[in-house]
Amino acid sequence: MENLRRGVQIIFFVLSVLLFLAARYPYSGAVEADILLRISPLIPLFHFIQEFSLSWVFWPALIVLAATPFLGRFFCGWICPLGTTIDAASKAVKSPSNRISGTWEKLRYLKFALLVACIILALFSVHVWGYLDPLSIFNRALTVIFYPLGTLAVDQTLLAATKVPVIETPVFFLYDLFKGNVMPELQAHPAQVFWIALFVGAILGAEKLSRRFWCRNICPAGAWLGFLSQFRMFERIVGDACPICNKCQTECKMNAIPGGDVKHTSKVECIDCFSCGAVCPPKVKAITYRWRWKPYHTPVDITRRQLVRTTAWSALALGLLSIGLKNRDAKNKQIRPPGSLPEDQFADKCIRCQECVRICASNGGCLQPDSIQSTALDLWLPVAMMRDGYCEYNCNLCGQVCPTDAIVPLTLEEKQHMPIGLAHFDKNLCIPYAQNSDCIVCEEHCPTPDKAIKFDLKETTLRDGSKRMVKYPFVIRELCIGCGICENKCPLPGHAGVFVTTENQRRVGMPTLETQTPESLPYG
Amino acid sequence: MNRRGFLELAGASVAGSALLSQTLQPLFAASTPPPHAVWVENGEPAALLSAALKEMGGVSRFISRGDVVVVKPNIGWDRAPQYAANTNPDLVAAVVRECLNAGAKTVKVFDRTCNNPLRCYSNSQIEQKAKEAGADVSQIRENRFVDKAINGEIIKQWPIYKDFLEADKTINLPIAKHHSLGRLTLGMKNLMGVMGGGRGDLHNDFQRKIIDIDRTILPTLTIIDAYRILTANGPVGGNLAHVKQPRTLIMSQCVVSADYLALDLFGLKVEEVNLVGEALKRGMNTFDVKSLNVKRVRLA
Repeated sequence: MENLRRGVQIIFFVLSVLLFLAARYPYSGAVEADILLRISPLIPLFHFIQEFSLSWVFWPALIVLAATPFLGRFFCGWICPLGTTIDAASKAVKSPSNRISGTWEKLRYLKFALLVACIILALFSVHVWGYLDPLSIFNRALTVIFYPLGTLAVDQTLLAATKVPVIETPVFFLYDLFKGNVMPELQAHPAQVFWIALFVGAILGAEKLSRRFWCRNICPAGAWLGFLSQFRMFERIVGDACPICNKCQTECKMNAIPGGDVKHTSKVECIDCFSCGAVCPPKVKAITYRWRWKPYHTPVDITRRQLVRTTAWSALALGLLSIGLKNRDAKNKQIRPPGSLPEDQFADKCIRCQECVRICASNGGCLQPDSIQSTALDLWLPVAMMRDGYCEYNCNLCGQVCPTDAIVPLTLEEKQHMPIGLAHFDKNLCIPYAQNSDCIVCEEHCPTPDKAIKFDLKETTLRDGSKRMVKYPFVIRELCIGCGICENKCPLPGHAGVFVTTENQRRVGMPTLETQTPESLPYG
Repeated sequence: MNRRGFLELAGASVAGSALLSQTLQPLFAASTPPPHAVWVENGEPAALLSAALKEMGGVSRFISRGDVVVVKPNIGWDRAPQYAANTNPDLVAAVVRECLNAGAKTVKVFDRTCNNPLRCYSNSQIEQKAKEAGADVSQIRENRFVDKAINGEIIKQWPIYKDFLEADKTINLPIAKHHSLGRLTLGMKNLMGVMGGGRGDLHNDFQRKIIDIDRTILPTLTIIDAYRILTANGPVGGNLAHVKQPRTLIMSQCVVSADYLALDLFGLKVEEVNLVGEALKRGMNTFDVKSLNVKRVRLA
C-alpha cells in the first residue's frame, strides 16, 4: 500500500506540474489547466459561505469531500502536491522522529483555530483563506519561484555551455528542444519573490522541526478534512500480535498514533499514508486496515477555551483589516486583469494562486503578485505592472484559467472592448513635449483598430529660435483599453512618459456609465 | 514519308534548333541585362515571386550552392496574415523554397518582434509555413547580438544579430505598410528586426540613425511584399478596412530603389517619406533612382 500511495503521490505531483506547464500560449482549454486547483477542498466550503450554493465547477473538490468521511484525509497523503513537496523536503532535511518532534503536538489546535478564523472572517466577507490554501501555495511557489528559477538555471547553463566550441551544436540542439517544448518563455522576473520564497521556505523548512509540520499544525484544508474524518470508516486495526515496539508511533508522518496507545489512531490527523503498516516489523505484521460499519470517533483537537480565544482574535483581525488606509493614489495604480470582478468581490474570490500570472503572455512582466498597498488583503492579488510588461491585445487567457472565476472568462472580442484602465501622458517626461523631438513609439504600438493614441503635428519654436514640426501624442479616452503597451514601450529609461491608471476601467458585472459601441469586425 | 526521310528531317530539325538556340541565347542575354528592379503584379505570392526572379535572371544569380541564407520577414506583430501587419507567410515560404532549390545549405528565418514573440511567430503563420518549406525558424536569442562598428553620423556602434552578420546571403522581406513616424515602413525599416539594443532609442532622429546602421548591413536582395498593404493605423493595423490588395511584389538588389518604387503603391512622393529621401541624399542607393531600369510585369 505504501508503494501504491507513493506512486499516486508522484502521479498527482507530476500532473500538477504538467498542468502548470500547459498553462501557456497556445492554450486550447481542451485540458483545463486549473482543474487541479479546483480540487482544493477549501474552495467549495468558502464558495458556499459566499453564495450559499454548491457549484459543480468544483467537482474535483466535491469528490474529495464526499469520500473523506469514509476514507479520512487521503487527500493530504495521496493527492496534495504541496504535501508531496513537503515529504520530499522532509527527506532532504532529515526530519526528526516523533520521539523528538512530539513536543509540537500542542500546536495541533492551530490549524482548527485558523480554519475557524477563516470561516469567521469569511462570514463577514473577508477572505484570507486563499493565502493558506495548499493548492494555491503550490501553484504560487511554482509560478513565482520554481519556474523562474528553472528557466534561469537551464537557460544560463546551456547558453554558457554553447561557448565551448566542440559541443556548441549539440548544446544548441538541447537548448532549442528545451525552449521549444518545456520552457519557451523568456526569463520571468516576478514581484514579491522574496516574501513568497520566505513563505514557501518556511513551510518546507519547518520539516526540520517535525515531519509534515505544515499539515499537522497549520493547514486549514487539513483541518477541514480532519473535521470531516472524525467518524471515518476505514480504520487501522492493530492485532494482538503487536509487541508494542512503538515503531509505528515514532515513524507516523502525522503523529496520529497516540504515544502509549499504539492501538488507536487519531482519525482527524491520519492521512492514510500506510507507513505504519510498512514499518511494522516483518515478523510481526500486526497492522491491518479494514472497513468497519461502526467506527469509533476521534474528536477534533481544539478546546472550548482555544475556540473562544480564536473567535476573539478573529474579531480583532476583522477590525484591523477593515480600518486599512484608503489610498486613492495606490488604488489608482492597481490595474486588475481584464474580466476581473468588482474590486471587493475580486479580492474575496481570488485565492492568490497566481495561475493568471503564470499564463500571462508577458510572462511575469504585466501580471504580478501585488504588494500591500492600502490593505493587507492587496497582498498577492494579480496586478498589472505595465512598465514591465503589457496586456497582449489578442490574449484573453488569464480569465480562462482562474479556478474561482475571480477573473471571468471573456471572449477575445469582449476582452478587446473591456478597458482595464486609461493611458495618460506625462508631458513633463514625454519626449515630444519635454524635448520637442519626434518619438511616437507609443502610437506605433497602440493595438486598437482605431488607434487610441493619436498625435497633432504642430510647429514648435526651439530655444535657438529655429522652427521644427513635431508630433505631439494624446490619448482618446473612448478608444483606450488600458493595455499599457504604450507605457511598456516608452523609450525613456525610467518613469514612462505615458502611464496607465485604473481610471475608466470596466469590471465584469458592474453597470457601465459610458456605453461603448463594439465594432462589428472580429479583430485578428 | 518513308522512314529514311523522317529520320533525316528529325535529325536536321534537332540540329537546327540546337544551333539556333546556341546563337540566339547570347544575343538575348546581351540585349537584356537584368533590370535594376522588378515590379510584378496581379498574382498569388508564389507566382509573383517566381515571375520576379525569372526577370531578375534566376535565383541562382543571388544564391549559390551551399550558402547559408537569412530571410528576414516582418513578424513584428501578433496579427493574422489578412491584417497586413506581417509579411505574407506564403511569400516567406516561397522564398525559402527558391533558396533551397538553388542549393542553399540552410535558410534561417527570424525577426525581433514587438508583441510577444511566440504569439507573433504563430499568429502570422510564418513559423508554420516557413518550417514546412524547410526553413530553420528560430526565436531571437538575446545572447546572439554582437556589437558591430557602425561609424555613422550618429551611431558609432550597435548590436546586430549574429546570424544575420554571418550569413552568406541575406534576403530582406518586408511588407509595405503605413507608419506614423516615417509615413511608411518598407525595406530599410524592416532591417530593424536584426538590430538589438533599445529600439525606442532609435526613434528620435530616426532616419539618420536607421541609415547609419542600414548601410553597414545591406541585404543581398530586397523583396517587398505588397500582396496586401496596410494603408492606415500602421504599423500594427487591426482593421481590415485599412488593408488593400495590390497583389504586387517589388524586387531589387538595392533596398533604397525597392523602397523608392514602393512609394507608388501608396501614391506618395519621395519628399513625403523622409527615410527614402534621406537615404537618397546620403547616397545609400546602388542605382540612380531617376533612371531606374524597372521591369514591370502584369501576370495574367
